[in-house]
Amino acid sequence: MTQHSNKHHPIRIDLVALLAAFTLFLSTIEYLIPKPVPFMRIGLANLPLMIALGILAPKEYALLALLKFLGQGLVTGTIFSYVALFSLGSTTASACTMYFLYRIGKRWVGMVGIGIAGAMASNVVQLALSRYILFGPGMWLIAPPFLTVGFVTAVLLGLFAQQFVNRSVWYKSKVAS
Amino acid sequence: MKVLKIGDFVIAILSAVLVSLSFLSYGNLSGNPTVHIKSGANEWIYDIVQDRTVSISGPVGSTVIEIIDSRVHVSHSDCSNKVCVAAGWKDSVGEWIICLPNNVFVLIEGDRTPTPGGIDDTAF
Repeated sequence: MTQHSNKHHPIRIDLVALLAAFTLFLSTIEYLIPKPVPFMRIGLANLPLMIALGILAPKEYALLALLKFLGQGLVTGTIFSYVALFSLGSTTASACTMYFLYRIGKRWVGMVGIGIAGAMASNVVQLALSRYILFGPGMWLIAPPFLTVGFVTAVLLGLFAQQFVNRSVWYKSKVAS
Repeated sequence: MKVLKIGDFVIAILSAVLVSLSFLSYGNLSGNPTVHIKSGANEWIYDIVQDRTVSISGPVGSTVIEIIDSRVHVSHSDCSNKVCVAAGWKDSVGEWIICLPNNVFVLIEGDRTPTPGGIDDTAF
């Protein structure tokens, strides 16, 4: 295992693959939960991305986000449809928001705040894509339940992620490595 | 170790405000309900009190929408998940059904008053 603080070091494939496998597993669990809109996400698959913030280097984090997008597309069978655009947009928005928030403000913001910000970025991008690509102005009527679900699940996932970060021996070993 | 930091509260409050503001989108819904069906650039508006069955063609096949007894639902869809069919009956202004794979959006709006005899087969 190598130090991620070294910018020139190669990507730790095994660690990224492990976290990507978690996103694939959690995407499957999420797919089983009924939702009123196909692209509405509870955000379970975001959990590994949150935990990875303190572990992975920028390139590794970007690779994990890409693998999450591909994994979700495979699980939901939408990877070659235009629905994948929504997944790509939301994953990019949430990964970038969480990454920069963590890098800039981790002294003041914990996993709950990072999770909420990521969820809001993801949902707003999806609503905007729906508004301008598919359904027009009436699309804003779906915003209230969409954002409410995203907010509540983000708080719960954030609390879980914070507990994990605080208590996990595995996480501490990866941060220290 | 602390679970919550000051920034968590700030982001939670700002996001809660954003979520609350989103409910304003329900604000201008009044008048007699009409069923708006959108697919791509097309939109059809139907009077909810007139029973009818509408079939919309989309990227993955057809979506069949029934308006019966002032309620609307998707009775059949060629999409794989059938989330739109499972959404069930809708009868209130602001309620909606979406079939994303087939690009169909069904919305009950109340801000347009139907003409005598009802609005039907209006595409624009």
